[in-house]
Parts: sequence; structure tokens; C-alpha cells
Amino acid sequence: MAPYPGSDADYLKDKARRDLLTLLEGVRGKKNLVVSQDLAGPVGLFVKFSLLQEYGVDRVFLLENANVDSSQRNVVFLVHAEKTRQVRTVADQIKRLQRNENVEHEFSIFWTPRRTLVSNAILEDVGIMGDVSIAELPLYFMPLEQDVLSLELDESFSDLYLHKDPGCVYLAAKALMGIQQRHGYFPRIIGKGDNARRLADLLLRMRKELDAEESSGLTDLSARGLLPSADTESLIIIDREVDFGTALLTQLTYEGLIDETVGIKHNQADVDTSIVGPTPVPQAQESSKAPQQTSKQGQKRKIQLDASDQLFSQLRDANFAIVGDILNRVARRLESDYESRHTAKTTTELREFVNKLPTYQLEHQSLRVHTNLAEEIMRNTRSDIFRKILEVQQNNAAGADATYQHDSVEELIARDVPLKTILRLLCLESCMSGGLRPRDLENFKRQIVHAYGHQHLLTFSALEKMELLQPRSTATAMLLPTTGTQPGSKTNYGYLRKNLRLVVEEVSEKDPSDIAYVYSGFAPLSIRLVQCVLQKPYILSLIRGGSAAPSAPSPASTASPGWLGFEDVVKSARGATFSIVQKGDDKAIRARQTLSGNNATKTVYVFFLGGITFTEIAALRFIAAQEAPRRKIVICTTGLINGDRMMEAAIEKGNFTQPE
Amino acid sequence: LDGKPGISFELIAQAAFDEGRTYLATQLLNHEPRAGKQVPLLLNMEEDEIALDKAIESGDNDLVLYVLLRLKTKHPLASFYRMINTRPMASALVETTAREEDTKLLKDLYYQDDRPIDGSNVLLSEALNETDMPRTTEKLHLASRLLADSKDATVVLQQKLLSEASQLLKVQETLDKEIADRSEFVGLSLNETVYRLIRSGYGKRAQKMQSEFKMPEKTYWWLRLRALVAKRDWG
Repeated sequence: MAPYPGSDADYLKDKARRDLLTLLEGVRGKKNLVVSQDLAGPVGLFVKFSLLQEYGVDRVFLLENANVDSSQRNVVFLVHAEKTRQVRTVADQIKRLQRNENVEHEFSIFWTPRRTLVSNAILEDVGIMGDVSIAELPLYFMPLEQDVLSLELDESFSDLYLHKDPGCVYLAAKALMGIQQRHGYFPRIIGKGDNARRLADLLLRMRKELDAEESSGLTDLSARGLLPSADTESLIIIDREVDFGTALLTQLTYEGLIDETVGIKHNQADVDTSIVGPTPVPQAQESSKAPQQTSKQGQKRKIQLDASDQLFSQLRDANFAIVGDILNRVARRLESDYESRHTAKTTTELREFVNKLPTYQLEHQSLRVHTNLAEEIMRNTRSDIFRKILEVQQNNAAGADATYQHDSVEELIARDVPLKTILRLLCLESCMSGGLRPRDLENFKRQIVHAYGHQHLLTFSALEKMELLQPRSTATAMLLPTTGTQPGSKTNYGYLRKNLRLVVEEVSEKDPSDIAYVYSGFAPLSIRLVQCVLQKPYILSLIRGGSAAPSAPSPASTASPGWLGFEDVVKSARGATFSIVQKGDDKAIRARQTLSGNNATKTVYVFFLGGITFTEIAALRFIAAQEAPRRKIVICTTGLINGDRMMEAAIEKGNFTQPE
Repeated sequence: LDGKPGISFELIAQAAFDEGRTYLATQLLNHEPRAGKQVPLLLNMEEDEIALDKAIESGDNDLVLYVLLRLKTKHPLASFYRMINTRPMASALVETTAREEDTKLLKDLYYQDDRPIDGSNVLLSEALNETDMPRTTEKLHLASRLLADSKDATVVLQQKLLSEASQLLKVQETLDKEIADRSEFVGLSLNETVYRLIRSGYGKRAQKMQSEFKMPEKTYWWLRLRALVAKRDWG
């Protein structure tokens, strides 16, 4: 059980690449690869097309385009086996290739992340089970960053809360088991929310199953006797439905705003070339040879957004208000860097400068891209409508009487603001104050249906099913009571706002002292809950003294684990609260403790079930920086989410237009 | 035997079942912690409901779906509904799969469960998929009829809005015939229709629609303002 040197992210990236390439090697000769759309992006995270080519991949097709041709004998499918529809599509395409081609194809399917019984049944039904060779590609966590692992399940949000399909909980459990098998058991599993509880139960169950395999002598011995881990401290699971409110707000960090305006997928964003200029010559060494593309209107360009870009890693987690300052500073520094060539007199100095030139150019390019992008976002944030929206949001978040905002919302509807935005505002009100008054809700329903089409009756049904938008009278809309015994099930923002200090007005955006900076004054409840586990003294000082002094490092942080001290507060958030200790053989632990000592920094995994926003990531990084001497925080999630994506899960796309 | 290492209850249970001792086999299977091994055997033993429960317990949605597929082909629909009805995860999965491929099943399910809004929603989404007008309105009509005899406030609103939808479609059809050469209005929302009418200079008709559908003054004025600006009509 030797821990792999290096971080989880590197390990996972490496492993995913090796797994895929080994499978490709298993298919002899050249081949065509068919990838489903939702896998193409994630695969791009760990393997490049050029590398695939080296392994005999001739062309890559998208499953959804249904245009695989017969140029190669071998056809390889790389598809999610969990998605019944995709499995059917694969079966259809294999059938089609078999029927109308004179080439006899060899088919292979790599099911991701595992082969399922249902997919078997479908292939058998179509009668091609015998004609394909099937393998599994165990892809679970995709490393987006060193500290961010994501399952990249785009549909996990709608699956979980709209269709009530817990498939992604199971996959999450599998993925976390993978981490446990590498590092040992999480000594403590802490969580909040009903789905989180389910996930924890699955983890315990899988551990039992593993034990059973071992005891019946069926598995390899290497997994034998997994112990509580020495280098992890705990796993914290937060269910998205504990805090829908945060994700509905407009994110105000740089990366968050990019996600809100253009959307970020698998670390990439498609941006109009009119904003950021044409695709630059590939930033690699032989750049000058590549032909310059001409900039056309409406063309999109992919921008890579991750920590490999130094400038971006400075900017991404900052509040948007100070992005201009940072850009300015970098521009000035860059200029002085360029100027330094004048002082370079001797040949050695000159050579040094020339050696550094590529880095300067790289920085220069990145600066140009981000300046333009920031300008574009600024144009948006300065608009009258954006300000109106933000005002409604801020008032809701601060706990002002929401009915005063209804006029503004009505005006926004009449001005034909995108439906997503309107729904976000209404859902926000519903989540924060336990539903809308029935009469108001009816009013809004009528206006929205009039403004955006009657098909959105379905949208409202879906939102109600997700418990995002409800009339106040229904049982499921009730807030958790703080006194008395009346029933209720929803997160009580009113109570938590006070008791966890969700509103911090004096936070400085330039030099933030609290996570509330990510929403310019509102601290995400989800992250506050994490702080209740990790930064107890700080939270206590917030509540009692009210002075937002940064937490003094406390050596006693390990003394009160779990939710200890905050049980009552946490009770007002939705769903189950739990803290489970996983024990192992005592003697072995003690032996290891004496061997390794106990002062190493330990890792804390924070798992967001149902999606995480970029603002929450930024806030967690802010905590991670404070905790750096004692802890390492790794963020795990089922996928990245924002308010628009939440709404898209519910919005009905059909309309009554008649095709001619 | 419980707690001793080196014993696979699955194998023993299999053996017991082969010997024809079904009860013993089920008892033994309770000790088998690996659901993946348990469920197929239970299915073979015709212990269908237990198999379903165990699959749900395992949290493995693939296993649940597999059991559901088997049960659906085996049992008459009514008893299949009964089986899944008490198990929320099972019915959720059935609903999701049915939404893609089998709306008939969905309608039956909602009818048996007495969920009129869900039932009418199925019809509404079917109406959205219809390509010709009479069929669309027919589906809308059916959808609103499902809700007709309820007194619940949300249902009443839903029903009213549904009949409004067909009314709007009818008006738009006439507009298409009278003032546009091709289908231009059908499918727009009410606000978009009014906006387009004003922009093309049919102020009277726009006003008529405003009163017909009881559009609030404020909305109407915003629409008018935007339309006139788009038209550059500063008079």
C-alpha cells in the first residue's frame, strides 16, 4: 500500500491515459474512433489527438453525428454505458455498418466507466453481442486541476434532482473508493444532505463488499487489510440541495463571470473571435510557421482556462472588481521587462534576454486575451439590466422582503431578459424564503408563459419537482424551524444568515479576509458549512465578536472533529447530518503512527454532490491557502454547475412553431 | 457460519437452490454482502421482489434497471406498477426510461397513481412534438380535459393556461392567414406576437390581443416602447 508519489490529479491523469492507450493497443492495426459528445471533452483533458494517432487512430467521429465511415476495418466505440440511449445508438450504428458495407468490420466497444448489465441486454436484443469485443475503461475522476477532481457528469444535476436517478451517487462512491484504495480509508466521513448520506452509506457498503471478497478468497491479496489512511484527514460531503441558493446567484469572481457569460466546459471556453482576436499561432516553439488565421465575425475560438496560464491563475479566483487592477499591474511589469533589453549591453546579458523572450511573448498573448475578455464582461456588467438583476439578487440574499422586488422582476420579464435569468431570480426567492406566496406565483406563471410561450408550463412542473420553485403552502417548501415543532424540510436561510454570518458587508474585495468576497458580501452557505468542520475558531469569532479577524492558527483544530460545536446550527440546513468514523485494526494504526510520526499535513477531500460553482471553488481555495500549513484540500465534484445550467435542466426546449 | 472468513454465501446458496431447497437458499443469501452476486441468483429463484429490494439497497442503478427490465417483461403491467409503486427509486427509473421511449406506459402509470398534472404534461409534450396544427390542438385539448374536474388551485391555473394556449394558437393561425404570407406568428409567445404586431404597424390588433389575454398595462407599454424603438417610429 505504498502511496503513489505525487498528487491525485497527476496519478489519475496518468492512469486514465495509460488505460486508454493499453486498450487501443489491444486493437491491432489502424482504427477509427467513435466518441460520444459528452466524453470527447473530458478525454481531451488527459490525452492529445497526436498521441492517439501514434496508437493507430486514423480519424475520430462523434457518436451523435452518426457519420462513421468504413475507411478503416477496425471501429472502436468509446461510450458511457450508463446512458441507455447512447448504448442504443451504438447498437444502431454497428448494425448499419454491418448491413451496407462490403468491408467486414471489427468492432470494439470501450464502456466507460464500466460494462453494465443493461448494455449487455441491449446488445443481445439487437443480436450483435457476439460480433463485438467489449472492454471497460474505468474513468471516474477527471483531474481538472491539481486540486479539483470532477466526474464531469453534465447531467448529474438533472438526474439527481429532477429524475431522482441516483446513478451519479453510485459512480461517485466508486470514484471515492478508488481514492480509498490508494490512500487507505477515510478516517472520518462527514456530510450534510440526504444524498450525501446515501453516498456515505454506499462507501461503507462497498467496503463491506470488498471485505467479503477478501474473506472468501476471491481477490488479489494486494487490497487485503485496507486501513484507515495515514495521509488523509477526512472526507466532507456536501449535497447540492442543502444550498441551492448560492448556485443561483450570479458569480462575481473572474472565472465565475466567464462561466456566466460564455460558459466554461472541461477547462475550455468558446469565445467569439471578435472579442479575443483570431486563434494565435500555436504557442509552442515552432509557432512562426503556422499560418495566421483570419478573423471572421461570429467565429468561435477555444480558450484554454487552467492553471498552466500563470496570469489566469492569478486572476481566476479574484473578485471581478479588482481584475482591472491586476491586469494593469501585469501590463506594467511586462512593459518594464521588455524595456530591460535596453540595459542589456553585453552579449551574455543579451542572450539571457533572448532566452526569456518566449515567456514574455506567452505572457503578452495571455494578457491580451484576458484584457479583451474582461472588457467584454465589463460591458455586460455595466448594463442597466445586469445591475437590476444584481440588485434583486443582493436584496434576496441579504434577507430583505422579497415582495418588494416583484416590480423589478416584472419589468425584466416585459423587457424580454433571457428566461433563465428570470427563473433564477424566482427560484432564488423561493429557496431563500420558503416558497412564493401562491398568488404571486400564479401571477408570475401567467406572465412568464405569456412572455416566453406556453410550453413553459412544463418548465414550471420541472422546477417544482426539483423543489426550486414552489408555492409557500406546500409541505415541501417549509423551512426548517428553529423553534417549536412545526414540520419543515428546507434550508432556513433566515436563521443561518444570522448564525453563520452569511452576509458580511465590510469585506474588502481587494484584500479579502473572508470567503464572502466571491459574491461581494455574501458567503456561500455550502462553504460556511465546510468551515464549520475545518475552521471552527474562525466561525466562532465571526459569530461572537463579529470582527472578521482572520483565524489565528489553532493547534487544537484536531481536538473537536466533525460537526462538534455546530450541531444546532447545522440542523437548520436541509437533510441528514452525519459524521462517521471508519475504524481499522488498532494495533496496525498505532504501529504506523510510531513509524511515520503524526505531524505531516493531511489531505481533506471535499466532495460536492450535484455540482459545484467556480465561486465555491475560489472560496475553498481561499480556505486552503489559510490552512496550508496543516491541511491540503482537494475538491471533488460530480460536475461544475452554475445557475444557468440548473435552469437548463428544467427548461422545456420544444415550442409550438410548425415546421413548413 | 456468519463472520468466518473464507466462505462465499453465494456459492452455498447456489448449491442449496440446485438441491431444490429454495427457502434455505434465500436465508443463506441474506448473509451475502455483495449485491452484484445476490441479485441474479434471486431472479433465477423467482424471488422477484426481494431481488428488486436488494438491487435498490445496493444503490447500483444499473442493477436496478436490469431487474426492472426483467420484471417488466415477466409480469402483467398492473402488478408491475404495484411492485414499483412503493419503491420511489424504482418508479423514478421507470419514469425516466419511459420518457424516452414509451409514453403510453407513462400515461397509464400516472392514471393509476392519480397524478393528473403529470399526465397532462405528457400530453403537452406530445403536443409540442406534433407537426400539424389540428393534432397539436387536439392534444392540448386532451391535456386540459384531464385536469377539468379538479378544484385544486394550481390545477385550475394549469388548466386555464392550457386552454389559453390553444386559444392563442387559433388567433395566430388567423393572423398568419390575414396579414402574413407564410407562417410567421404561430408558435410565438403572446408577448412576441404583440411585439411583432406593433412593429409591423398593426396597433389595433395588438390592443385587441392585450385585452383578450388580459395582459397587464405595464407589460404592454414596455412591449410597445421596445417595438416602436425597433421600428424607429418616434412619432
